[in-house]
Amino acid sequence: MTDLSHIRNFSIVAHIDHGKSTLADRLLEECNTIDKREMENQILDSMELERERGITIKARAVRLNYKADDGEDYVLNLIDTPGHVDFNYEVSRSLTACEGAILVVDASQGIEAQTLANTYLAVDNGLEVLPVINKIDLPAARPQEVKAEIEDVIGIPAEDAPEISAKNGINIRSVLEMVVKGVPAPEGDREAPLQALIFDSQYDSYRGVIVYVRVKNGTVRPGMDIRMMGTGAEYKVVECGYLSPKAMVPAQELAAGEVGYITASIKTISDTRVGDTVTGVLNPSSEALPGYKTVQPMVFSGVYPADGSKYGDLRDALEKLKLNDASMTYEQENSIALGFGFRCGFLGLLHMEIIMERLEREFNLDLITTAPNVVYRVDKLNGETVNVYTPLNYPDPEEIDQAYEPFVKASIITPPDYVGNIMELCQERRGEFRDMNYLDQSRVELRYFMPLNEIIYDFFDALKSRTRGYGSLDYEMDEYRPSKLVKLDILLNGDLIDALSFILFRDNAYARARKICEKLKENIPRQMFEIPVQAAIGGKVIARETIKALRKDVLAKCYGGDITRKKKLLEKQKEGKKRMRTFGTVSVPSEAFMAVLKMDE
Amino acid sequence: MEKLFAPKKPQPDKKLGIYVHIPFCRSKCQYCDFYSFGGSRDKYLVDGYLQALVTHIKETAERCPEYVVDTVYFGGGTPSFFGADNLRRIFAEILANFRVMRDAEVTYEANPDSITDQQLKKLRREGFNRISIGVQSDDDEMLKKLGRPHNYEQAVQAVEKARAAGFNNISLDLMYGLPNQTCEQWQKTLTHVLELKPEHFSCYGLKVEEGTPLWDYKDCVLLPDDEAQADMYLFAVDTLKNAGYGQYEISNFAKRGHMSQHNLKYWLGEEYIGFGPSAASDFGGMRYTNKADIHAYIEGVLTHGAILDECEQIPMRERAGEYVMLRLRTCLGIEEEEYEKNYLMPFKPLKKLLEPMAEQGLCELEEGRWVLTPKGFLLSNQIIGELQLAQSKSTPLAKKR
Repeated sequence: MTDLSHIRNFSIVAHIDHGKSTLADRLLEECNTIDKREMENQILDSMELERERGITIKARAVRLNYKADDGEDYVLNLIDTPGHVDFNYEVSRSLTACEGAILVVDASQGIEAQTLANTYLAVDNGLEVLPVINKIDLPAARPQEVKAEIEDVIGIPAEDAPEISAKNGINIRSVLEMVVKGVPAPEGDREAPLQALIFDSQYDSYRGVIVYVRVKNGTVRPGMDIRMMGTGAEYKVVECGYLSPKAMVPAQELAAGEVGYITASIKTISDTRVGDTVTGVLNPSSEALPGYKTVQPMVFSGVYPADGSKYGDLRDALEKLKLNDASMTYEQENSIALGFGFRCGFLGLLHMEIIMERLEREFNLDLITTAPNVVYRVDKLNGETVNVYTPLNYPDPEEIDQAYEPFVKASIITPPDYVGNIMELCQERRGEFRDMNYLDQSRVELRYFMPLNEIIYDFFDALKSRTRGYGSLDYEMDEYRPSKLVKLDILLNGDLIDALSFILFRDNAYARARKICEKLKENIPRQMFEIPVQAAIGGKVIARETIKALRKDVLAKCYGGDITRKKKLLEKQKEGKKRMRTFGTVSVPSEAFMAVLKMDE
Repeated sequence: MEKLFAPKKPQPDKKLGIYVHIPFCRSKCQYCDFYSFGGSRDKYLVDGYLQALVTHIKETAERCPEYVVDTVYFGGGTPSFFGADNLRRIFAEILANFRVMRDAEVTYEANPDSITDQQLKKLRREGFNRISIGVQSDDDEMLKKLGRPHNYEQAVQAVEKARAAGFNNISLDLMYGLPNQTCEQWQKTLTHVLELKPEHFSCYGLKVEEGTPLWDYKDCVLLPDDEAQADMYLFAVDTLKNAGYGQYEISNFAKRGHMSQHNLKYWLGEEYIGFGPSAASDFGGMRYTNKADIHAYIEGVLTHGAILDECEQIPMRERAGEYVMLRLRTCLGIEEEEYEKNYLMPFKPLKKLLEPMAEQGLCELEEGRWVLTPKGFLLSNQIIGELQLAQSKSTPLAKKR
């Protein structure tokens, strides 16, 4: 057991792409936590998806043993966090397990929207924030200016911030020294009743739920009876230990100040909630630790198995994934067109995309996703107020007194050259200008009120393309405002496909309806008959396209040797069909649903 | 000649088709994805190949004494380029080892540039009675672009020579949907070839296959689109019908009594054995394909090693799928009672799909048999796909009992 004075718990926060995960790699190397031989890039991003995209999705904890310049051995618990706005929640959870945070800032890019957002998160959690200037070996690096920017904009001292290159391993040790000196040692009473905060959990098919905890007070040991204070569930600890990057290392005990894992043969996933406090059954703590504020998903979408019979599999998959990503919500939904599925809530579109990909990869499911929507609020004429999570439940126009849509406070940071482009973009998206201030000569922060609905589709992509990749975005929920909303319905071959309906701002309806019909025409393969594609508001058709009938799909030759080949071809065609949903007589590939969402300009 | 043919035995002899693959060509055509190679006939290789074929034929014949052969087909490649003596040698071996019916249909494929009077006479005398000539187009420029080693005039002469040599069952191969081809050009081609008065036509839409030289250029070749190809197809069906050629398969047309007996075996699920590299067999409930490599084939046969690439036993349920897939290619179509009796599967789910298709003019019920219309043939992949999907969901009748 390490003495409290020799433990440091810290996380790394930064804007996306400023080099968190690379710095984490270097820190692991520096502490010989992992053999050079085994070293690979983004080692903590163990999810295939994270490596492919080069981003961190899940926060991950790891323990480092560090011999500092003062000759003492320290235990450093590092938590790597995501940088994208959608995963703020992941960051804030990780921060509660720490006393300090390293703020990584790119020496050429300077402060970005997420730099600010994540710093404020850390400060709000009472953490010591220690800046580090990364990528100093880039030609465009301007470390002194960036330091000044940090002091001016964020208001934390940055003169002594280490100037490093995580990529090329420059000055890595100075970061570790800074952690030892600058991050406060954890406090806590190891003799007191157990209080351990669950900051993450995961399902293992051999050991059941594995909970990741930060022990605040007391000590937990194998064999001990524990209780989840929130749910009241009780278990006997089978194993506890530390997290090394490649494996879990069992230990005799986990004591106050330490970060580690507990297994207790927990089968019921819902018994362990992230944010709950673990205490002892025999000597329970009288109160739970302050948990997390429950995060409100902002974007909702219908998720259906492409093959209707896989509904049960989808439910199990969602349950397991929810354990690993508590910010997602799901509730059963029933569509006439798609059958049984779930209405899932996400933090943003990237989050949604990631969850979908994880479901498809980790659970081997083929999914159909409906257009994402925000939560609308409707005052009905009968005095009732309803929250509308899905277009399926949008009230009839005759019943509506007033509809409201959520607005966010958006903050966009950009080099001054692109201010004009951004203002234009925000205007197109019904943004309301608040103010603009120069952070320094090369950085402007623009603040807008924006309808969330306009942000969730492709705003981020549009922002990137209009600022040559320099613009960054952060937003938080503001309030509901009255709005002119309509529900747009899509008809294929005359049949209304409820799963394709969505709600939008009235003035955008015509343009969007036309585009959607075009997109569907592109994405639905020609079939044996002509298919009209129509978009309608309350029974009035406002756009129409026609998918012409297929005329030729034939294998001209079929002699002895071709028979096997032709059979395989038909087999493949059948597989393709399976991934399509049939509405009436029209087969629609699942990509068509997704294509509708991706509206390019 | 009489003595070579075994006397016709009364039933229940089983019928067998024999296919011999000749992978030699003068030159390889741009669109061809059959197993064959262009260039000279290497004496050493040809001898080795003949020896392997002879051995393989002998061996195989021992395994099927209860069969009589009613069709023999030399395909390729270009059998006419391989030469009359070589073909004769192989055919003689077949006659010596199998019981071949006296009125068996014996076909060889020929290209206009390698047809000679002498060859035709020799083979005709030996018992060959059908010739399939690769004409493809009447436009010399197109022939050249496709890499065909002949012009149209040679094709015209080839037909005349075959006629003179006593072949009264002549088939011509044509292609449509060629780069730059217009509907008018195709109509002109049909008018010209009809003047040659063959007994049989095969008309294939050009399909650009991966691995062919044409594939590499597919993005810059001006191929007629699906609409135009469909129009060309329907025009051909109509024109040939008016000229007295009945369509009996998607791409095949014949004067009364001149359907290709051998090719029908493929479509009716009858038994055949293939000799030579890449040749396929459907025999004794198994479907297998020889390796597409002449050297591997020769070595395999001569050393009793492996020569098969693929070999599978086809279970009844799959046979039912093949019945639908293959029969619907032909004018015979599918029939309820035959289907239920042979495969113990309910026909009802298929009927449910066929009926609305009939309303769309894709198929029709003719004397109790469901057959595709030309419009339906054009969409046969879709139609067969849907029927097979319904098939895979249905419960076998046997289980219900």
